[in-house]
Amino acid sequence: MAGATRSALVDEDTTHTDAVAAVAAGLATLLFAVGVVALFDVVSLTDPIAGVPVVTLVGGLLVLLGGAVVSFGVGSRLGFVATDPRPTAGLIAATAFGLIWFVVGGLVASQTFGLGTVGWTAAALVTGGGAFLLTALPREDVGSTLPAGAVTLLAGLVFLGGVIGPSWAWNLGWAQPASFTAGFVVPTLTLFCALLSGWASAKAYGGFGASGRHAGAYLLVYLNALAIVGVLFALVAFTVVEGLPGLLREFTVGLGAGPESTIALFGSELTFTWPFDWPFVMNGVGLLNDVNGVLPAIVGTIWLVVGAVLFAVPLGVGAAVFLTEYAERGRFTQAVEVATNGLWSTPSIVFGLFGYAFLIPRFGGGKSLLSGMLTLGFMLLPLVVITSREAMLAVPDQYRDASVALGVTKWQTIRSVVLPAALPGVVTGVILGVGRIAGETAPILLTMAGGVFVPGSQTADVVGGFEFTASPPFVANPELLQATSALPYQLYALITAGVGASGNVGNPDQFKWATALVLLVVVLSFYAVGIVTRYYFRSKLHE
Amino acid sequence: MSETTQSTTERSTDQPLQTTNGETAEEARSEWVDYQFDGQAKLAVESLDVHYGDDHALKDVSIEIPEESVTALIGPSGCGKSTFLRSLNRMNDRIESARIDGSVALEGEEIYQDGVDLVELRKRVGMVFQAPNPFPKSIRDNVAYGPRKHGDIETGALAKLLGRSDEEQERELVEQSLRQAALWDEVVDRLDDNALGLSGGQQQRLCIARALATDPEVLLMDEPASALDPIATSKIEELIHDLAEEYTVVIVTHNMQQAARISDQTAVFLTGGELVEYDDTDEIFEDPESQRVEDYVSGKFG
Amino acid sequence: MSSTDADYSGWQTALRRRFRRGREFADEAGPSALATVLLGTGSLLAAFVGFLLVSSLTVVPVAVFVVTAAYGYGRHQELTVRALTLATTASTILILTLITVFIFVEAWPTVEYASVEVFGVSVPGLRLFVQTNWDAVSPPIRYSMVPMIHGTVMVTVVATLVAGPLGVAAALFLSEIAPPLVREVVKPGVEILAGIPSIVYGFVGFTVLSPWASDQFELLGQGTYLFVGVVVGLMALPTVVSVAEDALNSVPESMKSGSLALGTTDWQTMTSITLPAAFSGVSAAVLLGVGRAIGETMAATVMLKGVPKLTKPLYNAFYGQETLTSLIARNYGEADGLQMSALFVAGVILFITVLLISVGSQYVEARMRSKLGGEA
Repeated sequence: MAGATRSALVDEDTTHTDAVAAVAAGLATLLFAVGVVALFDVVSLTDPIAGVPVVTLVGGLLVLLGGAVVSFGVGSRLGFVATDPRPTAGLIAATAFGLIWFVVGGLVASQTFGLGTVGWTAAALVTGGGAFLLTALPREDVGSTLPAGAVTLLAGLVFLGGVIGPSWAWNLGWAQPASFTAGFVVPTLTLFCALLSGWASAKAYGGFGASGRHAGAYLLVYLNALAIVGVLFALVAFTVVEGLPGLLREFTVGLGAGPESTIALFGSELTFTWPFDWPFVMNGVGLLNDVNGVLPAIVGTIWLVVGAVLFAVPLGVGAAVFLTEYAERGRFTQAVEVATNGLWSTPSIVFGLFGYAFLIPRFGGGKSLLSGMLTLGFMLLPLVVITSREAMLAVPDQYRDASVALGVTKWQTIRSVVLPAALPGVVTGVILGVGRIAGETAPILLTMAGGVFVPGSQTADVVGGFEFTASPPFVANPELLQATSALPYQLYALITAGVGASGNVGNPDQFKWATALVLLVVVLSFYAVGIVTRYYFRSKLHE
Repeated sequence: MSETTQSTTERSTDQPLQTTNGETAEEARSEWVDYQFDGQAKLAVESLDVHYGDDHALKDVSIEIPEESVTALIGPSGCGKSTFLRSLNRMNDRIESARIDGSVALEGEEIYQDGVDLVELRKRVGMVFQAPNPFPKSIRDNVAYGPRKHGDIETGALAKLLGRSDEEQERELVEQSLRQAALWDEVVDRLDDNALGLSGGQQQRLCIARALATDPEVLLMDEPASALDPIATSKIEELIHDLAEEYTVVIVTHNMQQAARISDQTAVFLTGGELVEYDDTDEIFEDPESQRVEDYVSGKFG
Repeated sequence: MSSTDADYSGWQTALRRRFRRGREFADEAGPSALATVLLGTGSLLAAFVGFLLVSSLTVVPVAVFVVTAAYGYGRHQELTVRALTLATTASTILILTLITVFIFVEAWPTVEYASVEVFGVSVPGLRLFVQTNWDAVSPPIRYSMVPMIHGTVMVTVVATLVAGPLGVAAALFLSEIAPPLVREVVKPGVEILAGIPSIVYGFVGFTVLSPWASDQFELLGQGTYLFVGVVVGLMALPTVVSVAEDALNSVPESMKSGSLALGTTDWQTMTSITLPAAFSGVSAAVLLGVGRAIGETMAATVMLKGVPKLTKPLYNAFYGQETLTSLIARNYGEADGLQMSALFVAGVILFITVLLISVGSQYVEARMRSKLGGEA
């Protein structure tokens, strides 16, 4: 704007301001960590640290934090610290603080002072409206710090004063009873206040204005990303830690340590001994086993995947070839596109229902491996179509033109030019799709099923199962037509079987976690391979 | 965003380069390094090197740009003139592989030093890009975007609610900026229409108006007329000429006639990212020191 | 009226063109090729019909088809490949059609059973939605979808509140904020996490979260919509993140530079330029996440109580009864007749809802593509 003062490129006079704001942000981080730890009962609220109960300690810290935030805002307004605030904190902040204080006011009025509906509504409106005006009317430095600091101060005082102590609980009085207890409320409130004050102090750190908002928003966005990665990582780590003991039970390595296997090929038999013994993945469940395992489920999962891929990949790639190379773009291709996308988003349980109604009566009326394969194949099909199409569309037209110009037929062009160039994309898509269907439970629940504890004798032997019969359809494979187990189903069956049904697996919990871990490893390795393949091909493409 | 800031001069050692007629680059440079102009230097660039990965895009460029004038950067494609331009408001920082060594001072203040507020820098050094890039918003919102974001103008719902809306001020600013960019008469009736509905030339003038609305001291223009028809081009050239009364304009162009028409001084970059000659525009086009420059401006090569 | 006429005549010309093309094709291809294609098509249709009718003779047309295809590939390669790929394409549509037909047919008995007379007109299936009592054991046997719809809505709302804002924020982080090194690590990480099987989430939720929640909120028994929603939201998160990230990445760099060159902060550029420009793509991502949440089965099945009832009061998310998906997964075993058919009704509701969401998000995305395409 004309006449606006020019500020230097580098703001030099901010070290003190930064230090104060940084201390507040640090305090907020500390409280955030305490809140997370307390929420998951790692620290008990009543346990004293240096003689002071945790609740009181947290309360004290909150008061400190709230005080710091408020004094920073006031200090900035009075000109003690150099900042660059806007005339107002903005409508979004005002609405948010208005809502927060509406809730605070309502709760205090109804719970602490026992006012009726009219009373607490009036009180809530007063506090909420007040907070809205307090945020909107004054300059930004006051508007974005005072309401945040005040919430934090109030929470701290409530904890300090023992209004919410370790044994505090608030029964909601619903027909199905539920209560807020101190064990939940104290950490949650701490987390919330830490976030709010952390945001306010990050804004202050940035000197308010545009760069202050930038700092405040970045704090929240970084925290969010960190939390997501943290939670998902914790989930995987937890499964690994819980599952490893069961998975590695009596795992031994050494020449001749493992069981014997025989491979029959072209009439000659080859017998060899595994160089390790891994009972959990090499055994089924049996009375005589020292360690019971999930071999039938692993084999079942592998056959399911093989069957689904054999069904879906030729169909899917064929459809993709037709859509990209032969069909003219129009209503038909559009309809197929909508259909494949619709198929891809159809819930897996609906595929299960379909398999139950369509496939089971046609394969001997019972649940079978073949029904499971086809159901998962139906699920895989749309993904194969979508990814193959994308990969083929990405093949530059010059390739095709160059080939056609040499007088080669269209199909030969497709086979020798388009398909090889699109192969990486297709392979990646198929691997990722396989990862997804390998972990699916719902479709095989209705079409394949199996047992809770599957004996090793039920391990499917599809290759050895083929036999010729005299009556149509002349070829039969009873292995395909009987139910077997798969990892996700077995885990589901173990969960729902309840505590009593322990079979003879000794420690059922260990068995469950180990099953979950095997499933996780199988599925995630499909994903990892798929993603690595994609990155590999991509980096090769960019070279 | 972290930047490699290295204000120490780091001369590349692959000098001297043989030029076409046998004189070394070092000799050629000696002619213009002493180029004197009246008045203040707005931007002082010293020993600027830019690498994109292994690609040495700009080699040891030193130049001083006087204020309130038009400086044209000319040269064949890929000679580093756009890279040079983007170094002046640190837009090269957006490119991950870019490494920048050397010094650029804006009114004596180094812009490649730790703690530089990029937002503040870009408020003072505005930029217009080669391809028009209006935002998918109304014409009014496009022009008022900068001032609104800088907090110079408050027009949100809250400001209206509190009766502090600067709508009048905004209206004036939008009109003034659009008039400066010679666009006002064409869009006065449709300020609330989407800017993407304008023609290419109008879009580019809108982008200029958008940059002017933030009241920069320096305006960088990267071939602003390259995608435009002759009529739109002449409008923009007139505009640039007028702007030089208030602003320091640095313009990249591959069109030599354009450079001759509108600029006060011209810097010639030739292939390989080196600055070959820098002088008054008349001198460059009538009596260049370097044989290579003469060949280039007379159309013998490039 | 005139538009229908135009459509009609358009149809006619299209049809005539088809015919003409067909005749030209028949003239060109020669009798042998024509016979091959006809025989192949015929045998494939026969095989399909045989399979539908559960005939053990299905193997005969299948064999004929295989032989024809092999012969055709040898003699009339181009034509055969074209016909074969067309058949695979048709099968994709056929599967969607079959799914639709079969679940609707299986669902019909219960819909008919639950007919209610309104002003003398019998409205089939109305009772499924106007009364809330599910009793499959003691007469009068009543099926109601209301409790399960309520459950699905509760779970989906919570899941969307978790996956939507957090997912979009994380996508912003990955696409605009994260340093290159962090992005290289986190992005594939997020994609891998999309692959964690839902039953593993369910297992962890069942063994860790449910007892914890029951303890914290002094609940009777275990299973809450709130925490099923949280788990399902976490599950949908990677999908939302990666689709939204793609949308944000497709915003042209020139637009972002344009904003930054005016001296705005990165955050201002994100909220005022990048997010609005990618709005439809981002909302399609959230919609996709909602679809995932609605269809999620296993976590809900193992974590919920499995009693088809409304919670009291309705907004009491601390109790979790049953969702449409978990109803099917839990009851398919002992159900038969009408009850099984009622499970199919739940399937139909799920199918239609998710299909609508899918079509909606495709529409939104197509609009975004045309919009951004116009700018570039």
